[in-house]
Amino acid sequence: MIDKMLGHYRIISKIGQGGMGVVYRARDEVLHRDVALKVLARETGFDTSSREYLLHEARSSSALSHPNICTIYEIGEFDGELYIVMELIEGKSLFSLIGTLGLPIESVMRYGIQIAAALAHSHDRSIVHRDLKSSNIVVTSQGLVKVLDFGLARRLPRAAMEDEATQIMGPVDSHDRIAGTLSYMPPESLRGQTADARSDIWALGVVLYEAACGQLPFRGGTSFEVSSAILHELPPPLPAWIPPGLWGVIQRCLAKEPAQRYQRASEVQAAIEAVQSAAIVGASVPAGPSGGPPTTVFRNIRHANVRSGDALLFVGTTKGAFILRSNSQRTHWDVGGPYFHGNSINSIVYDGRNGRHRLWFSTSSFWGTFLRSSDDFGKSWTNPREAQIKFPAESGASLKNVWQISLGRPDEPDRLYCGVEPAALFQSDDAGDTWSLIRGLYDHPHRPRWTPGNGGLFLHSILLDPTNKDRMHVAVSAGGVYSTEDGGSTWQARNRGVRVVFAPEKYPEFGQCVHKIVMHPSRPERLFLQNHWGLYRSDDAGQTWHDIANGVPSDFGFAMVAHPRDPDCVYVVPVESDEFRCTPGGRLRVYRTRNAGASWEPLMRGLPQSGAYETVLRDAMTADQLEPTGIYFGTRSGVVYGSIDEGKTWKKVLDGLPSVVCVKAAVFGELRISRGARPGSKSKSGANTDARTRSTAYAGQRPPGKANSPAKTKSREKAESPGKAKPRSRSASSAPGKVSQKQRRAPVLPGKSASAKRSSVKNKKRGRK
Amino acid sequence: MLVRFQIPGPLRQFTGGSNQVQIETSGSSLLEVLTDLWAAYPGIRDRVMTEQGRIREHVSIFVGTENIRDIGGLAARVPAGGEISIVPAVSGGRA
Repeated sequence: MIDKMLGHYRIISKIGQGGMGVVYRARDEVLHRDVALKVLARETGFDTSSREYLLHEARSSSALSHPNICTIYEIGEFDGELYIVMELIEGKSLFSLIGTLGLPIESVMRYGIQIAAALAHSHDRSIVHRDLKSSNIVVTSQGLVKVLDFGLARRLPRAAMEDEATQIMGPVDSHDRIAGTLSYMPPESLRGQTADARSDIWALGVVLYEAACGQLPFRGGTSFEVSSAILHELPPPLPAWIPPGLWGVIQRCLAKEPAQRYQRASEVQAAIEAVQSAAIVGASVPAGPSGGPPTTVFRNIRHANVRSGDALLFVGTTKGAFILRSNSQRTHWDVGGPYFHGNSINSIVYDGRNGRHRLWFSTSSFWGTFLRSSDDFGKSWTNPREAQIKFPAESGASLKNVWQISLGRPDEPDRLYCGVEPAALFQSDDAGDTWSLIRGLYDHPHRPRWTPGNGGLFLHSILLDPTNKDRMHVAVSAGGVYSTEDGGSTWQARNRGVRVVFAPEKYPEFGQCVHKIVMHPSRPERLFLQNHWGLYRSDDAGQTWHDIANGVPSDFGFAMVAHPRDPDCVYVVPVESDEFRCTPGGRLRVYRTRNAGASWEPLMRGLPQSGAYETVLRDAMTADQLEPTGIYFGTRSGVVYGSIDEGKTWKKVLDGLPSVVCVKAAVFGELRISRGARPGSKSKSGANTDARTRSTAYAGQRPPGKANSPAKTKSREKAESPGKAKPRSRSASSAPGKVSQKQRRAPVLPGKSASAKRSSVKNKKRGRK
Repeated sequence: MLVRFQIPGPLRQFTGGSNQVQIETSGSSLLEVLTDLWAAYPGIRDRVMTEQGRIREHVSIFVGTENIRDIGGLAARVPAGGEISIVPAVSGGRA
């Protein structure tokens, strides 16, 4: 068909194929515009029935003129080919936009209003769509909704629109064929009754439900099961973050009896508009009569478009959080945020247990500390009316901050822990709905004698032994390490061998200012500890500790990360001293041991080696689960660095942030390996290509609010491309020989500047001394 | 009696976006009047008070133009038709 002329239309390319015809992009040679041209091809059933349907589609739709309805220009026949000429709409189907996660709530409402408006227009002209579904709704890049395919629409007798009794009690139209996709079909159609405008309202309810959560409301493995669910079952409740008002609209659309639904699409439109106007930008939707929790919907900020298989980074700062996504190459990151701007995000955890993809943030501001969760990667968040974590009245204590949110073990998918300030441990066994103070630790006789450090008195590290359900360790600054062997009922101080520099007794039973402890999951009896002065290892689950500060420029520091696969490998970022909590000599270096602390090596390639007086806070460094392991950290000056080769080389991921408090990494779903990924990378899916092409190149990019203009970004990419900038090219060629050609072309491994090289040489010499 | 509350921006999410709300109350102390505010607009209490019932450190409350610190704290008397302002305290020095 390509290049063939149908009348004055030249066929350019095939766009798609539907049940009744093939759709082409075509050129109107008279009006000089591109159009969509639907041809009822002879070989795909050019019989009288199909022909009548096509003609019917054209006649129905041509009566409609509305910005949310695809315009019909013309119907024609040429050389036996019957065709319809329509407005060419460039966009994506709502079905593809919804994916498996659903849309942000504000998009559900924005699109829902437009779909309802389209239906209202057609219903006013006595035209029922009868095949409304997410795959025949297109959203343009400007966010304009176009309802397509009034192919099954039928012109109702006007009396039927006005006489409800006729609609409900009228005889079954035996000539009606059951058409349309089953999942969107209303009960009355399944019963063979006449479809009317309210059947479209049912389908609109299905579309809204699907858009809100990514699932159809009536499901089943067979047509019979789906039909049965439509006829007899209620739609499963939508997740808690869906505004109750919207859920109410959807439920009314999905009433089994047409008389109990909205009677007109314009009513649905008005109802969604009412819910929308109640939703305040960046604020809660007031709860409806059901009393469900309000939800915070973030509009007007950029969201990272997270898909299954993505590598994710979560960055919490003193003034908000950012969500970054990349493919398995981890060279280009899309940045979403800031989330909860103005709040300090002191802890983040990603919960992928039990099929979830839930983010937990602890947010802290003048208005208190709250746990907020999102199941759609930041688009909407729970917004609890009450603070979830509260100290009991008799304690007299008040929550100041949540410094650590930790997951329970994989076989305890609803368990979470929080380490808080003032120092205490809280536990939830219902996926975060309710929390209780772990009294065994809070009532420990040592607790009244714990003393606050510079940052306060708080519990910041929580380690669960994966092989012993009764054993866990926590660390308190400044109280020391405490462990339980009975699931939290009783706790013992485990600080033997850890030195104190700020009290006369150098090795007390407790009172150590522990900054961080980490555990290797495959060898849980081994712990590493970054102390307020001192690096330590324990090989007996914390019973005894040994000094391992062998070759670090300072054993003072905060951040510490265990390699996810090598139990002998740990990373730290030393700072000069307790009085000058900055990287020694203005050189930003990560130190790594690969022999459990017998020696340490500096990792500095790509990190600033002069004038970098940085601090990396205790939760601001993390490792991902990919191979080679990615290591990421953020600084108090608001820069995030990443290494995708286990620390050998580093690259700036994001800068211009407020002070970074915490950095976490995760993989959403199964890893998708992209083209050009390093050999050896693991993938459960085994896919070797990445369909995504729209990700924004990053090269020390700024957060969305401070984004460069596209032109500037482009020129920056060019400037950073090793192939175009000679100094980079030189340094890239000096990169280790195992780096692939593809990687050499990518702006992955920034080489050192000449001054950095000189500095590096000097440092080496100094190190030898 | 009727009292009027001035609601700061971050808390308007719990008042349907309104920057002021009126409460019919039989209370006369600030705590009694606030308790009626909590009941009418759930969500505000835990943002203004700690779980121990103290006003948060960086939140100030005024009855008329008087900071409640100077007129008896939560026991301060609220006159009929009084205006109560909840405002974030001026605090600085930390980034």
